Amino acid sequence: MAVYERAWRPYAGRLTPIGRRFLVVTRYALAEAFSSRLFTAFYAACFLPSLLALFLIYISHNLALLEQLGLTREFMGGLTLVFFRLLFLWQAIPGFFLMAILAPSLIAPDLANSALPLYLSRPIDRRDYVLGKLAVLFLVVSPPTWVMGIALFLLQAVEEGGGWGVTNWRIALAYLVGHLVWILVISLLGLAISAWVRYRPAALGALFALLFVLSAFGSAVNGITGSSIGDVVHLTRAVASVVQHLFGAPTSSGLPVAVNWLTLAAVGLLSIVVLNRKLRAHEVVR
Amino acid sequence: MKSGPQSAAAVVELDGLSVRLGGRPVLSDLHASLAGRAIGLLGPNGAGKTTLLRTLLDFFHPSAGGARVLGQEITGNGKELRGGIGYMPESDAFIAGQTAVRFVRLMAELSGLPPRAALERAHETLFYVGLGEARYRRIGTFSTGMKQMVKLAQALAHGPRLLMLDEPTNGLDPPARSRMLELIRDIRDRGETHILLSSHLLADVESVCDEVLILKQGRVAACCNLTEQRRANRSFVELELTSAAPGFGEALAGLGCEVALAGDRRLKLVMPHAVAVRDLFQVAARHQAAIRRLDCKRDSLQDIFLRAMEDDRGGV
Repeated sequence: MAVYERAWRPYAGRLTPIGRRFLVVTRYALAEAFSSRLFTAFYAACFLPSLLALFLIYISHNLALLEQLGLTREFMGGLTLVFFRLLFLWQAIPGFFLMAILAPSLIAPDLANSALPLYLSRPIDRRDYVLGKLAVLFLVVSPPTWVMGIALFLLQAVEEGGGWGVTNWRIALAYLVGHLVWILVISLLGLAISAWVRYRPAALGALFALLFVLSAFGSAVNGITGSSIGDVVHLTRAVASVVQHLFGAPTSSGLPVAVNWLTLAAVGLLSIVVLNRKLRAHEVVR
Repeated sequence: MKSGPQSAAAVVELDGLSVRLGGRPVLSDLHASLAGRAIGLLGPNGAGKTTLLRTLLDFFHPSAGGARVLGQEITGNGKELRGGIGYMPESDAFIAGQTAVRFVRLMAELSGLPPRAALERAHETLFYVGLGEARYRRIGTFSTGMKQMVKLAQALAHGPRLLMLDEPTNGLDPPARSRMLELIRDIRDRGETHILLSSHLLADVESVCDEVLILKQGRVAACCNLTEQRRANRSFVELELTSAAPGFGEALAGLGCEVALAGDRRLKLVMPHAVAVRDLFQVAARHQAAIRRLDCKRDSLQDIFLRAMEDDRGGV
């Protein structure tokens, strides 16, 4: 119908599948995020560690170039577990900043502008809404972290040959599981804080504050008690220990890895509880 | 709840619906079957109108009883049910930083329209509500009236079978209010969409609705078909005498009028068709009752509403 007719008619066309409706939330949130040039530039910068690693892998397998540069294949100690662990760290740090920037902007503005009744009066529920927002973080953070990590691992395995990939399978496992756990925990925490605080800058500050406060508190408890019991609330150390364990390296936490897993699970569950309490079409005043 | 032949056509059926929020009963044992093209939800502030709308959208779960909207139970069918509903909330609600067309398109897509169709209908709907020229402006820069219109547009864009409007004329100046009511009447008259209009403004409900549910303190105070009421076309008269006239009220009752005394010199009457105002003067002359003031009017929603509100206090 031509808009100048200024009339309204019912809709009788095809409908999209109800199970995929949460992706609409994701698509619009992604477009919103990348509408900022600053964010897009930062996102591109997040690929730099992986691109540098790609360059190093390329050089280490290009004997002619190495010869021209006067280097041997062992110029950086070989592409060992340490190389991939360092790369993981340099992927995880920008990945964290991506989530920290993005997560508070996903829910807080909707709550601040009372948009939730609009979303939830449609054929989507709170689970779809959270899933849609989580998918944004997953889709944004995955490429510069575990996707690039696995790609580099495969490249190195192909270039190296001789069963290198099979021997070092833990690298792939660590990249996949480690990054996914990191993304899931920080995303849930970021969304929960965003739902709680409802003001984007404050939510961003609260996320950093919570991580630093928990880490400082954990370290203080460790210092006072002379034990590692404080690591129970030391979120960043818990993540680091889990990843180190996945790489097959010694862990930095004095607690068993199972406890670190429990810490991450507790943070995730707590975030889900907060989201469940805060994300309602309407608040009930008691 | 079983659906009988009559309830098959009902838009909203309430079957002992009760809702408790924060430990307090907000809606108590509501029973009604509403089948009008445009249904009004009336009641003073805090009567439970908005809670009823939100319960019908499955935002709140009934503590007892149940309800059906367009023939579907509200509990357990939330997604399917909401697919056919357009909801315009009472308070400001929008998505920050979005233009009107993007916002309406998003809402239409969430309701299941493919992106292309959603964009097309977003444009159409915004033109329809009169925001065609402003559709690329950010909603945050809109006036209150424009925000109300964009809320109506998002509720309409996906072509719902039931349009739930919660206080749609809130904050509107007279021309904007008139335009909003005109749009709602236009949607009603197209005959494709049912309207459930919640308002505390009697004039809004009276000008749009053909059926009304009046709530008071979370209970059904009255439920009536306005079309039939209008058809009955009863006359109401309010009389004030210069002095008390014993027997005058009884004489009027003898004519077939329903009489209510409001003090010893004021009477309110409901006149049957056969009785004219002239008859009142004749009775007054016979009883030497001097009439100081006489107001005559047709049965209006205001009367129905006031009767419903006064029922608990035993009438006037």
